[in-house]
Amino acid sequence: IKLISDAGHQGEIGSVSTACHEIGVFSKVLQTSFNQLLEGGEEAIVKHIIEFSKMVCYGEHTFLYAQVILSLLAQEDGGSSIIRRLSQEVQKAGKNKGEGVIQITLVLSAAALYPRACQALVSMIGRQALNPADVTVLFNMYSSNDPPPIELIRMPQLLQLLIKSLFTPGAVINPDHKHKYIFLLAFATCAHETWRKGKRISMIKDEMKATTQAIEKVHAICQKEDKGGTELLAELDAIFKHIRYPVVAMGVICWVEEVVSDPAYFQRMTDTTPLHLILLDEVVINCHQLMHKEVLDLLIRLFQDPFPQLDVLLQMELKKTILDRMVHLLSKGDVIPIIEFMVNCVNTQAADISLIRYFVMEVLDIISQPYSADFVQLFLPIINNEDITGSLRNEEGTDAVSQFLAHCQIDHGR
Amino acid sequence: MATVRDSDTSLWLHNKLGDSEDLWSGISSISTQLKRDVLENIHHCFVSLTPTVKLKLLMAILHMPRRNVEELKDELSAILHLALTDTDQWVSTIADILRSYPVSGQLNLDLEENHSFIAETLRHLRKTLSETDTNALLPLECQYLNKNALNQLVGMQVPPVRHFQLKRKPKSAALRAELLQKSAEAQQQSRKLTSS
Repeated sequence: IKLISDAGHQGEIGSVSTACHEIGVFSKVLQTSFNQLLEGGEEAIVKHIIEFSKMVCYGEHTFLYAQVILSLLAQEDGGSSIIRRLSQEVQKAGKNKGEGVIQITLVLSAAALYPRACQALVSMIGRQALNPADVTVLFNMYSSNDPPPIELIRMPQLLQLLIKSLFTPGAVINPDHKHKYIFLLAFATCAHETWRKGKRISMIKDEMKATTQAIEKVHAICQKEDKGGTELLAELDAIFKHIRYPVVAMGVICWVEEVVSDPAYFQRMTDTTPLHLILLDEVVINCHQLMHKEVLDLLIRLFQDPFPQLDVLLQMELKKTILDRMVHLLSKGDVIPIIEFMVNCVNTQAADISLIRYFVMEVLDIISQPYSADFVQLFLPIINNEDITGSLRNEEGTDAVSQFLAHCQIDHGR
Repeated sequence: MATVRDSDTSLWLHNKLGDSEDLWSGISSISTQLKRDVLENIHHCFVSLTPTVKLKLLMAILHMPRRNVEELKDELSAILHLALTDTDQWVSTIADILRSYPVSGQLNLDLEENHSFIAETLRHLRKTLSETDTNALLPLECQYLNKNALNQLVGMQVPPVRHFQLKRKPKSAALRAELLQKSAEAQQQSRKLTSS
C-alpha cells in the first residue's frame, strides 16, 4: 500500500481502513482529496464529500490530523476563508460523532483563550440543543465591552441552532431569555471587527439595532398560529421589508420548510397560491447568491415529493408552482444547477414529461441571446428532445423552440 | 504491587478503548476518569498498550475538563513524552500535536520540521492553494451575514456569470405585485375591523 501511495496512485487506494492505517499513506490520500475539493469548488464538495468524510472521520485521531493540516494551511496569506470552509465541511461530516468534533474544532480556533465560551459552545453544539444557561454565558460575554472574537459565535452549527429555535413554528423559548438568543444571532451576523497581531483594533456594530428589530419582528410573525394564511397576507410587506437581512431570510427558509412539510398544508391551499412558497421568491430577490442553494435544495425536495395526499390534478398544479419558483431563481442568476437538475429529471425519467415541457416553455419565454456556451451545451439536449418539445414547434419555425435551435446552430455550431 | 496495578489499568484501558472497529468509542467516557493515580499507572503500562488504545487515550486528553488538565499537567506531559518516541507513527505524531496542550491549552502546530510527510503534504497543498480562486468556496456562515460584515470577512464578491439576457420578467413578478396589492387590502380590512 505504501508503495502504491509513494508512486502517486493514492486515488486508487479504495478501502478506508487501508488508507488510514499508516499516517504517511493517510497524509497522501488526504492531500489528493483536499486538492480535488480546492480545484473543484462547490460541485466537488457535492460530489466527493461523502467519500472524503468517511476517511477523515475514520477515527478521532484522523479527524484531528486533518483539521491540524487545514489549520496550518489557513496560516497562508489569502487562503484562510476557503480553508475555513473545508474545515467546516469536515466538521459537518463528523457531526454524528459526538463532542470530540466540536472540542477539536474549538481547540484549533481562537476559542482556546476563552474557556468559558468554549464550554458553553461544546455543551450546546455537542448536544445539538441550546439551553438558557449556556446562552446566558455567551450573552454576558458578548454584551460586555471587550467581547471575544466574533468568529466563535459564527460557528455555522450555533447559527443553525439559533435559527431553528427562533423560527421553527411552535418552538418555545423562555421569554425571559429570548432577547439573548436574538442578541447573539444579530451580533454574529452584523458586527464586524479587525484584528492585528492578536489585538482587536476596531469593532463596528452600527447595524445591531436594525438587525435585532428585523429578527424580532419576523420571529413574532412566524410564531403566530395562522393556518389559513390570512394574517400572513396582511404582514407580507413587513416580511418583505425585513427579509433584506440575510439572517432573517435564513429564518424564513427554515420556517417555510417546516410549514410546508405538514402534509395537510397543500390540501388547505387548493384554491389559492401557497403563500409560504412565494416567500422563497423574496428570499431569492434580496439575498446573496449563497442562499440560492438553500432555496434550490428545498424546491428540489418539494418537487421530488410525490404528495400522495393530493389528487393527481392538484399534484400537477403544485409541481408547476414549484417550477415557477425555479424559473424565478434561474432568472436571478442561479442557472446551471437548475438546468442540471432538469437534465437529470429527463435522464432518470423522474418527472412527468409535461412538467419538463412546462419548464422549457417558461424559460424560453423569458430568455434571449447572447447565451453562454455552458448554458447551450447543457440545455440543448432537452430542447432537441422531440418528446419534450415536438408539440411546441410549428412548421414555419417561428416558435421559441425552433428559434433557440436555429440560434444554437448559427452561433454555437450545434 | 505496582505490577498488579499496571495490569489492572492495562486491562481496564483495553476494555474501555480496545474496540478497533469504532475509533471514536470510549474516548469521551474515559476522560473524566483520568485522575492522578490512574495517570501514574498509565505511565507505567503505556508502552505495552496496543496502538488503538494509545491513540484513543491520547485523544481523551482533549475531552478532559480544563481544570483537571491544568492540575495534572505534569502527569499528562509525562505520558505524552513517552508517546513521542512510540514506534507507531500515528501515536508519535498525535503526541507531538498534543504535547503543548497540558501546559498552554493550545495544540502544537510546529510540526513540519519533525515530520517530513507533513511538510510534503503541506508543500503540495500550498501550491494548489496559491493557484486556487479563493472565492470558489466561502465559509458556511457567509450566508447569514449582513453585507458589510460579509465584505469585511471575504471581500467583494464577483457577480455571477451571465448565461443569457432576460427579455421579460418571469411570472413570479406579476404574482408578487398581485400579492402586495392583496396584502394592502387585507391590512385595510383588519384596520377597519379593529376600529369598528
